[in-house]
Formats: sequence, structure tokens, C-alpha cells
Amino acid sequence: MIVELDAIRGVSLDTIYDSPEGKLIQTCIQCGTCSGSCPYGEYMEYPPRRIIKLLQHGLIEKAFDTDSMLKCVNCYACMMKCPREIHLTEVLLQLVKEQTVIKLPVVPAELQKALENNYRYGNPMGESGRKRANWVQTTTVPIRILSQNPEPVDVLWFVESYPAFHPRGQDTCRAIAKILNALGIDFAILGNEEKSAGECGLLSWESGLAEALVDYNMAIFSKYKFNRIITSDPHALDAFNFRYKMYGFKGSITHIVPFIMEHIDKLKPMIHKTLGYSVTYHDSCCLGRHNGYYEEPRALLKSIPGIKLIEMVHNRINTLCCGGGGGGMWLDTYFKSQNMERLSDRRIREAIDTGADVLAVACPYEIPRFEDALKVAGYDKKMVVKDIMELVSEAMEE
Amino acid sequence: MSKTNGKIRIGFYICHCGTNIAGTVDVQKVVDYASTLPNVVVSKHYKYMCSDPGQEMIQKDIKEQELNRVVVAACSPFLHERTFRNATSQAGLNQFYFQMVNTREQNAWVHLDPEASTDKAMDLVRSAISRVVFHKPLEQKTVPIKPDVLVVGGGIAGIHASLTLANAGKKVYLVERVPTIGGHMAMFDKTFPTLDCAACILTPKMSAVKNHPNITMWTYSEVEKVEGYVGNFKVKVKRKPRYIIDDLCVGCLDCIEACVYKEPRFHDEFNQGLSKRKPVYMPFPQATPQLVVIDPETCIWFKTGKCKQTCVESCERKAVDLNQQATYKEIEVGTIIVATGFKPFDASKVYYYGYGTYPNVYTALEVERLINASGPTSGEVIMRDGSTPKSIAIVHCVGSRDKNTNLWCSRVCCLYSLKLAHLLKEHTHADIYNFYIDIRTPGKLMDEFYTRMAEEGVKFIRGRVADIYPDTSDEEHRRLVVKAEDTLIREIIKVPVDMVVLSTGLVPRDDANDVRRLFNITCSTEGFFIERHPKLAPVNTFTDGIFLAGCCQGPKDIPDTVAQAGAAAAEALALIDLGYIELEPNTAFIVEEECSGCKSCVPLCPYSAISYNEEKKKANINEALCKGCGTCVASCPSGSIKQNLFEDEEIYSEIDGILNYNIYEEAVCC
Ligand SMILES: Cc1cc2nc3c(=O)[nH]c(=O)nc-3n(C[C@H](O)[C@H](O)[C@H](O)COP(=O)(O)OP(=O)(O)OC[C@H]3O[C@@H](n4cnc5c(N)ncnc54)[C@H](O)[C@@H]3O)c2cc1C
Ligand code: SF4
Ligand code: SF4
Ligand code: SF4
Ligand code: SF4
Repeated sequence: MIVELDAIRGVSLDTIYDSPEGKLIQTCIQCGTCSGSCPYGEYMEYPPRRIIKLLQHGLIEKAFDTDSMLKCVNCYACMMKCPREIHLTEVLLQLVKEQTVIKLPVVPAELQKALENNYRYGNPMGESGRKRANWVQTTTVPIRILSQNPEPVDVLWFVESYPAFHPRGQDTCRAIAKILNALGIDFAILGNEEKSAGECGLLSWESGLAEALVDYNMAIFSKYKFNRIITSDPHALDAFNFRYKMYGFKGSITHIVPFIMEHIDKLKPMIHKTLGYSVTYHDSCCLGRHNGYYEEPRALLKSIPGIKLIEMVHNRINTLCCGGGGGGMWLDTYFKSQNMERLSDRRIREAIDTGADVLAVACPYEIPRFEDALKVAGYDKKMVVKDIMELVSEAMEE
Repeated sequence: MSKTNGKIRIGFYICHCGTNIAGTVDVQKVVDYASTLPNVVVSKHYKYMCSDPGQEMIQKDIKEQELNRVVVAACSPFLHERTFRNATSQAGLNQFYFQMVNTREQNAWVHLDPEASTDKAMDLVRSAISRVVFHKPLEQKTVPIKPDVLVVGGGIAGIHASLTLANAGKKVYLVERVPTIGGHMAMFDKTFPTLDCAACILTPKMSAVKNHPNITMWTYSEVEKVEGYVGNFKVKVKRKPRYIIDDLCVGCLDCIEACVYKEPRFHDEFNQGLSKRKPVYMPFPQATPQLVVIDPETCIWFKTGKCKQTCVESCERKAVDLNQQATYKEIEVGTIIVATGFKPFDASKVYYYGYGTYPNVYTALEVERLINASGPTSGEVIMRDGSTPKSIAIVHCVGSRDKNTNLWCSRVCCLYSLKLAHLLKEHTHADIYNFYIDIRTPGKLMDEFYTRMAEEGVKFIRGRVADIYPDTSDEEHRRLVVKAEDTLIREIIKVPVDMVVLSTGLVPRDDANDVRRLFNITCSTEGFFIERHPKLAPVNTFTDGIFLAGCCQGPKDIPDTVAQAGAAAAEALALIDLGYIELEPNTAFIVEEECSGCKSCVPLCPYSAISYNEEKKKANINEALCKGCGTCVASCPSGSIKQNLFEDEEIYSEIDGILNYNIYEEAVCC
């Protein structure tokens, strides 16, 4: 149910009523499924249902006096369950969020910093852009960097900031490099030329920042010849698949999990090791709910001998958000100040209830979020968080 | 001396249809224009041509002005062609000298620009005036209607239609797919809004069907083939083998007792799988007919070829016959009533409601069985985990009003949810929470029923359920948390309950498309069969002689189902008692001298109306079978097939007319 991009390109809160989305808003039956699905619904003065009613009546200004939409973590739960298929997360809530942030008396510091970092350094953590490709030196397999060798390439791997800089993200990167190499994929990365895809800005509020990053990355893409892009970050996947397309991006983008599943027949004989783990898999909101990849990650996990997959209570379309989306990654302090439960803490309890040894994920935000939540729960000795790629790589060891 | 003098004299009339047409089309301009066209001797407009004065005007002109052709520009032929044909023939002119122009639906209603619309009207009028010159006087043929009726589906709709017809003295064949008639209603405990016991009101009708001398009831049977047309359908029915000889079995159930399976082990369809049955079984105590059936899918003999066949031995009447084969019946009927009912929505499709994952999540139909005295728990509400619920959530609109599943409101779920709230409360004294979007209780006594439930203390929460999951604060995780926004007090609530009931909507049967094709009727994209007109022909289909009744046409409750079944029976009776129908004379015919005998047309006719005469070496069209589709006309390489009302010169002059080519200036009357 992804929207017709043309239909909403350039739509603002003032012009929305003349767009097809405006007609959809009028069909809302005020059923409250959206608010009931929202992980932070109980903390919002104007949860999604009320936002839509305000929009219906042209009273949306009221919502800007509250921080309700700042609490939206872009988890797509409301949108995917809405019986009227209103594009809540994709369109409406973001437009409201942008105005909310503009009108906030003070933007939460942590968030402000992340945005500035993104603007200055091309990554939210404020690392030097010149160190983006440093992780490459820690791998044993060859990785081509396009600026050094600009020959056409089949697959462009968009690494993204968290995988490139975060130590645990780098673990995933090394695993991916090893797998791609073993599969004989002709791939390359952008190296230091890459900047954050800008999803956090796109899907939260800062359309100015987002556009700068979109322009930048699109210009870099146009320098090189490649057939498709892959990424391990579902948020980047979302940005390219959805927002970039509004700005004219025409390329094809695939998440690493479905990409590897395309090569599963070739991969299987390379899996030697039996991993005797019981594993529970957390559906990332962007990968699962928004892009529909529910079964591919499970199939990939099941292709590893010895792995026993246990489902958490909330899975697939009903997954519980880790709280990292829509800027939530940099709002933990703010949410805490509002006495709001951290969503990764809520989620980790379900993971713990499964009794699994491993919490498998397919999104770079989730590793640090869940590792921290495990510590808080005092369960970090009994359960580890692993990217699916790390598990595949481990199983490929002799 | 006649004014015609062998000349064509056309009368042209355009209708205002109030402002429907005249609001957009400049009728005066069209009249002025038509009067300049060749052969037109009368050109008039009138407020309502279909009214008596309108028709009388035409008739008066036919007589006084000696018109021999009539053209009326008005609404669609579907609505009023018959009216004007009648008017024409009552004035003594052959009715096929009339031609109609649709200037409402295909013009005034769909255009905004009056000038363009008027131009279009003039083009269409010119075309009709040009064509009507070549019309020929035709005779309408009649065909007799066979008095017997086929009813397909033995739910309450089919039962009621069959009984109505049979009581009127007509012979009825009732074909039911499963081993018993009764449909969904037979599964219910009580029925809203009066809470009368479903079995008490249904089973007398079921046995009336069984015993009625005018009804031939074939259960465990299916219609395989339908040929022919209104009044004369040839139908082939397959009677699946029950492995029981109907005439010998008395329903003593000895064979069930004797089956090598000592315990029932297989999914019991009638109880929605809440209990088990043996391979040889009686669907339910009041099943009609009272015949057991052996299911080859589960019977070990059919699966492995090995069994002591204790059932065969046990039957003193020698009624068990494991070698029975399917039989086929060919019948001839004049009319058909399709009453194939609905299917409940598959609740597992709304993944986040946990049906199939959490044992204490039930569908409404399962609960109907649970509270039924003849159900799997003899009417005690004992859940899959053996406990009795103390709190119950009833979730409305499951699979309905939702673009992700089905858009429509299923109409009965609110009411049956109220009914189940009452019955569950009565059986368990549990706290009941009904989660709804809107409570819809139209119809006689329905809102009163809602009030009564509120008085009984059922809690109503306005909010669509967003999530259902096990309560982790409860040791055994047996309780379920139902999460929703209570939109009226504007709070997100989490209600822990022991049992969840999903009020699933009504959806078309899986094979709706096959059934549609079999009977040559139409169904909407979602799969409900389409009535000929949503208001004025609610039980007719677009195929003459085939009628609809019950939920196969759309979700509805039992009162409406029965009313519709009665209406369908009345429509069938109207045809039968008239005894014949008039056929449109638009049939194809072969000009024998020109037919080269190439046989190209023979296999093309979708109605098998063309045969080949070996002696004459010519093709021949059976007028009674031809539907006038024109396929053969276009296919004949020697152009020797013609079609009444669509002869070449009629079509070409119509085209010439619309293109404003040389219209026949002075045509001579034929
Ligand atoms: C849970 C639930 C509770 C309800 N409670 C009430 C209530 O309390 N009061 C009320 O008024 N309404 C109630 N309804 C609505 C009621 O069920 C329908 O109005 C009624 O059953 C419709 O009858 P029917 O004959 O059209 O269809 P069905 O009952 O579905 O019967 C159709 C019959 O046709 C047969 N059939 C299907 N296809 C073929 C085929 N191709 N060839 C031959 N036979 C075929 C089927 O086997 C079946 O026997 C309830 C509905 C549900 C789901
Ligand atoms: S889920 Fe959709 S229809 Fe229901 S209240 Fe929310 S926006 Fe409106
Ligand atoms: S996207 Fe998720 S967090 Fe945002 S409003 Fe919808 S349900 Fe709530
Ligand atoms: S053949 Fe055997 S299994 Fe089948 S019904 Fe008879 S006794 Fe039972
Ligand atoms: S027009 Fe020809 S093809 Fe069509 S029904 Fe008649 S005979 Fe058959």
C-alpha cells in the first residue's frame, strides 16, 4: 500500500486537501486502530486518530501546541492496520511532525546534535567523514572503493553511517563483505564519498537537511555505473525506495537479506557449521511492516543448520518497534524525561520471554538498542544480539 | 388516398425527461434539425415521452400523419424500448419499425457542455433516422416455459424458495452440495432479534422439504452442466457417492458404532472442528436426510484398500455399499434459483487478532456451536483449554469495512455479536466487552434488541481492536489482552479477558466464479452475484429465468434471506404461470443459396445453435437456441449469415448517418 509518489510530491499541510490523500483523510472512520496500534499512543495527547480528525476539520494547528507527533517513531503500525489505508506514517504524520518540531520551544538537545552532525559530517554521530571507510582495513576480503577504482560495477553496497562507524555495525559489515565475496558478487562501496541517506531527517522533520543529503547522494550515484544498490540498513532502504524516488531517483535498491536470499542455492553449500542456537527474530518496522520482508529473514535463518527459531508474541505485521525510527534514536533522553517507557526495553522483555539465546536482527540501529536494553534487564549474559549476516558468516566458518 | 404513396414517413420525438435531458441538450434545436432530415414528416419534443400523453401523441401521429417509422430520443432501451414498441404496435404499426436513441445515459448525464451535447444528440438522431428506413417488420416468437424449477443450495434461502414453489404445485429439484440441507442457520443456537431457537424454526421446514411430494431433494450433489435458455434449461446433476444406499438406510447409526475407528478422530465440519467425527458419520442429529455418509478422505478403506469393513457387516439392512459410484441425473427445468449462500471470513487473515495462534480466540461460528445444546460441548461454554471464561471480548467487524480485507459491512455481525453477548452471558455469567466501530442495528426490532443488551450489562467500547496478545502478568499466559483506543473516553485501553470472539464478516464462497460461469450469471469483483437492478430487480439476474436468493447475492440476515427467497420463487412462478416468453427477433439466419457449406460458423456459436445439414451441405441455425450474439454473422466467409435488426444495410446506414455521409434522400417503402 505504498502511495502513488506523484500524488503526494510536494504536498504540504495546506495543499493536502486538494490531493488524493486529502480525499482519503475524509474517509477515516475514527475507529482508533491507529492509536491503539501506536507504541506510544498512550503518551500522546493527539494520537493518530485525533490528528486525522483535526485534519478533517482543518484544525491541525491544535496539534502543534503539543509534542504528540514528536513521539511518533515511524513504526508504520498505524498505517499498516488502518482499515481505510490512510497513509498515516508515510505522509500525514510527517507533515505534522515537521511543524511540531518547528514550533517546539526547544528542540531536544540530543536530537539537535544528531541533525547538526548529519549536516556537517554526513553522519549523525559526528564522526569525521574521512574515516567512514576505515573499517575496510579490518577485513580480510578485498573491498573495492569506487573513488579509487571507478570501473562499472554490478552491485553498489550503500553501507550507511551506523554500520560504517559503530563497532557492532562494523561487525555486520565484515560479515557482509565476507558473504558477498564468497558468493562471487561483483560489488563496491562509495567509501568516504558516502553520506547518510538522510532517512532520519526525511522521515522526521528536517526536510531542508534531508534534501541536501538527497542531492548529495544522488550526485555521487550519477558519477558511477552500477546495476543496483544493496544496503543492510532498512532505513536507507526506505529512504531510497520512497523519498528519493520523489526526488527523481530511479535506481533499484534491495535490502541485504532478500538480496542474499536470491543467492541462497549458491550459499547453502558454503554453510558448514551447525549453530546450536535458539534464535528469536525481531522484525524491523521498515524491513517488515513497510517493505513486506517477513519471510525472507526467517528463511535465511532457517537455512542455517541447528538454528531453532522461536517467535516473539508480536511478530510480522504486529511487530513492536525498537523505538529507533523517526528520530527516536536520538530522543531516548527526551522520552525518559517524559516518563515514557523505552520501546527497546518493552521489546526486550518479549525476546527474553522466548528463552532464546540469540536475538537476531536485520537493522543496524537495533544492535546497540537491544544490547543496552539487555543490560538494563540484567539479561546480557544469557542472550546476545546478532545481525542475521553475522550468524550466516559464523555458519560459513570451516 | 394514402399519404405514404410508398414513401417512408418518419416521426421523430425527443423527450425532456424533466430536466434530465432538456437541462443539457437543446431539444428545440434537435427537433428543428431533425425536421430537415430526409423522410422526417413529424418532429416534436415533449416533457415526458413515456407518459400516457407522450405515447398517445405518437399513436395519433401514426394514424393521422400515416407514419411508417418512429424514432424516439430519450433514455436507454433497457428502460423504455418496450414502452415505445408497444405504443407503436398499438397504433397498428409493426413494433420493429421503431428505433430508440439513448440521449440521457450516454449523453445528457455524462456531458457538461450543452452545445457539444446537443451536437452529439443530433448526430445520434441522424444515425437512427438513417437506419430506421431499412427496418423490416418482424414477428416475435414465443417459447414455452417448462414448469419445473431447479433450486441450487439448501440453506434457508433454498429451503424457503423450494417450499414456496412446491406449495404452489410446481415440481422442484433442490440440489445441495453437502450431505444435509440447512446451511449456516442449522448451526446456530438462537437467532436475533427474537432469540428464537434456530433448530425449532428450521427443522420443521427441513423435514417439510424432505417429505414434500413436489420436491426432489438431492443432497451431496452438484450441478455439473447447464445448457439452454429461459424456459428450457437442460441440467446435469452429479450425485456423489455416499457409500450408503439411500432407500435402505434408516439412520440407525449402527455402522458408526461399528466402525474400526473406535474413537472419532477427524475434523467435524459441522462443529467447525471443535469436535471429532468418524469416517462414517451423521453431520448432526437433525440432519436431513437422516442418512449417514462415508467420507472417502478419511475412511481407511478408501485410503489403503484395507479394512475389516465392520460398518458393512454391522448394517442389518445392507445399506452400506463401499463400491457405490457417482450417478448423474439429467433434468429439464424452465427456471433456476441460485441460493448458494456465503462463507464466513477467514479470521486468520487478520494476523494481529491471533486466530489459530491463541487457542482461546474463537470465531463467532465456533461460538454458535459451543453454546448449542447439540454442539461439541452440549451447550456448555468450555474452551479449548478446558476452562470456562469469566470475561469475554467480542470483536466486531473482523474482515469487514477494511480495505486490507473486505470493504463491505457484513450487516449481520453487529446483531449476531449482540446475540452472542447475551447467550454467552446467559451461559457463563462472564463480563462481556463488545468492541465496535459503529453499532449497526437497522431493521424491525433490531435497535430494541441493542437496548436490551445494554440493559443486560454488556459493556460497549467504541474502538476497533488493534492488538490481541497473551497477558504475561498471568502465570500461565492463558489470558489475552485486548488493546484498543476507547475513542469515546479517548484512552488507550488494555482489557485482559479469558476468551476472544471474532465476529467475522460474510464473504462469497470460494467457487463463486465457477458457479457464475456455470449459470452464466455475473458477479462483482468481490464475488457476490449481481442482481439485474439494485432496486427494481433485486432477485433477477442478467440471464432470463435465473434468479438469486440469500447471501450469495450479498450479506443479509435470515428475515431478508427468506423475503428474497419468496421473491425469487414468485418471479419463477410469474414466468411459469404465463407459460411462455417472447423472444427478441434478433436471431441470425442463413441465406441458403449463398451458404457454401464451409462449416466455419458451426463450432463458433457459443450456444450450439448451428447444425450442419449433410444432405443439403448447408449450415442451419436453430432460431430457438440463437441468442443473437452475432459471432457467426461476422465469421461467415461468404457473408451468407444475416441477423434480424442487424442486417448489413441497417448497420451501414446507421454508420453513414453518424458520419453524416449521404443519407438516403428518397427511400422507398419496402
Ligand atoms: C455467526 C453467524 C451468526 C448469525 N446469526 C444470525 C441470526 O441470529 N439471525 C439472522 O437472521 N441471521 C444470522 N446470520 C446470518 C445467516 O447466517 C444468513 O442470513 C443465512 O444463513 C443465509 O442463508 P443462505 O441460504 O443464503 O446461505 P447458507 O446458509 O450459506 O446456505 C447455502 C447453502 O448452499 C449450499 N451450497 C453452496 N454452494 C453450492 C453449490 N455450488 N451447489 C450446491 N449447493 C451449494 C451450501 O452447502 C449451503 O447449504 C448469522 C451469520 C453468522 C455468520
Ligand atoms: S486507523 Fe485509519 S480509519 Fe481508523 S481512526 Fe486511524 S486513520 Fe482513521
Ligand atoms: S508510525 Fe508508529 S509511532 Fe508513529 S504514530 Fe503510527 S503507530 Fe505511532
Ligand atoms: S470401511 Fe472401515 S473405516 Fe471406513 S467407515 Fe467402514 S468401518 Fe469405518
Ligand atoms: S448469432 Fe450465431 S453464434 Fe450467436 S447464438 Fe446465434 S447462431 Fe449462435
